[in-house]
Amino acid sequence: MSATPNGTPANGNGAAGGYKWHNKYPHLGTGPVPADVFTSQEQFELERERIFKKVWLNVGRVERIPNPGDYFVQDLAVCNTSVIVVRGKDGAVHAFHNMCSHRGNKIAWDQGGTCQNFTCKFHGWSYGLDGKLKFVPDEESFFDLKKETLGLTRVAVGVWEGFIFINVDPNPTETLQEYLGDLATGLEGYPFGEFSTTSTSWTSEVNANWKVIKDAFQEVYHIAFLHKRSIPDSFTSKDNPYAHSLDVTLYPRHGSMSLFGSADYKPSPVAKLAAQHGEIVIRSDFSADGLPAGVNPLRSEAWSLDLNVIFPAFFVDVSQGSYFTHQFMPIGVDKTLWTSTQYYTKATTPGRRFSQEYGNVIFRDIIMEDGRTFEETQSMLSSGAKKEFYLHDEEILVRHSHHVIDQMLTGQPVDRAFAANGKEAASHA
Amino acid sequence: MPEARLPEQFRDLEQWIGWSLETEGERSDRRQASAMEDITAFYEAMLARMEEVLPYLEQFSLEELPDDAKRLFYLTLSLAEVAPAVEQFGQPSVVDGYDIKRFVASHR
Repeated sequence: MSATPNGTPANGNGAAGGYKWHNKYPHLGTGPVPADVFTSQEQFELERERIFKKVWLNVGRVERIPNPGDYFVQDLAVCNTSVIVVRGKDGAVHAFHNMCSHRGNKIAWDQGGTCQNFTCKFHGWSYGLDGKLKFVPDEESFFDLKKETLGLTRVAVGVWEGFIFINVDPNPTETLQEYLGDLATGLEGYPFGEFSTTSTSWTSEVNANWKVIKDAFQEVYHIAFLHKRSIPDSFTSKDNPYAHSLDVTLYPRHGSMSLFGSADYKPSPVAKLAAQHGEIVIRSDFSADGLPAGVNPLRSEAWSLDLNVIFPAFFVDVSQGSYFTHQFMPIGVDKTLWTSTQYYTKATTPGRRFSQEYGNVIFRDIIMEDGRTFEETQSMLSSGAKKEFYLHDEEILVRHSHHVIDQMLTGQPVDRAFAANGKEAASHA
Repeated sequence: MPEARLPEQFRDLEQWIGWSLETEGERSDRRQASAMEDITAFYEAMLARMEEVLPYLEQFSLEELPDDAKRLFYLTLSLAEVAPAVEQFGQPSVVDGYDIKRFVASHR
């Protein structure tokens, strides 16, 4: 594959166009991706066993459970389980399979709350916040019950920058820090805690494969078309009409993309009012003060936000003044729970709250445009009419994601060789 | 005459009091259920007064808004809600958008 220019206009950062990201990561190749990965039940079962039951999955933030006894329940259909995440008396976050040791009943039937003990509604077995079995009604009538061995089954849990991750593998092969790797290092110091004092969050059960949704959010090629009404001039300009990104960094499994922000952006009347009182996502006055090196890595003046795609299906998209996340939890091969959350510093003044509400509504309406494509796409994928799809150079995170999934499903190593030298191991280059 | 519900200097906005809604869900429902001409009339009436409304509200902290100011504040949040309908879409709902009734807010 030669690296001749592909005729696309100059990139937003002023560099010449043409296969920019392929040239940076040539090992990913240029071929099409197969279409049946979005509809195959067999593929989905492999993804369940070899990806979702093996890796670290985000389940929320620490602000949701600030005090000992605070807990929430995360149903994980893709891992065939439900998990209780609780703040212990020791102040640490613990996670357990939501299942009684007696006969398997689900312990917590609600979505969260505060408690001193978890008590099974079936026969009243009671567990402490540390998961230990504390009380068995009419215990004398059991035979050789060893209570110390009958606690709730632990799920590995880790916290990074306030984000709680769990791993249902009984023996995770790597720590959360190892899993997140250099992507995490580059973001450490971003004021996630300060920006997470208030949030707005929406969920929807979408009739689409999780990768259809994920892929829609990890490329900029669609912006000039799908978002031509909502954000006609925020991410595109005369010189960068196709919203070419500023930078792309790939990790063994994760990926980041730094997005262009246009100086052509003309705020609407209400956007102008909102900007007088607080942060909105698109700004033209970027300052690197206090932001870690992984945010706007090129320190570009023409920057809007960064996508940080944590494998398999969690996005931490950071901007100046706020950030947002997307989480896609598979339920079945063609059903996914989609959650998007926008985080802010809690407003103390009416003007700031108005500004945040505008940002909130704009964000929601933009992702409503994205959302329409999910089921429209999935409804046609099952036709089998197309066997493969062709990816643009700016769709490199999509290409990378499919590449990693394929490696994990076929048992190839994806890990450390890539991290060590920026390229994958020669064995499958 | 019904009792005035907004601060005295903003009584001209009384006719829009139906847009004074506390939660995003309520505001979004009203936007989706309204005719575009009603949305546009509300938008224009509010926008014309915002240069006075915001400084007035900024006298108070968010937690200590008097009731009449709070109703006015909720009107500003409805302005934020309808802004994209007027400024971007030219219709109440997102053009070619996902069904917003299926996008469930877990916040207020």
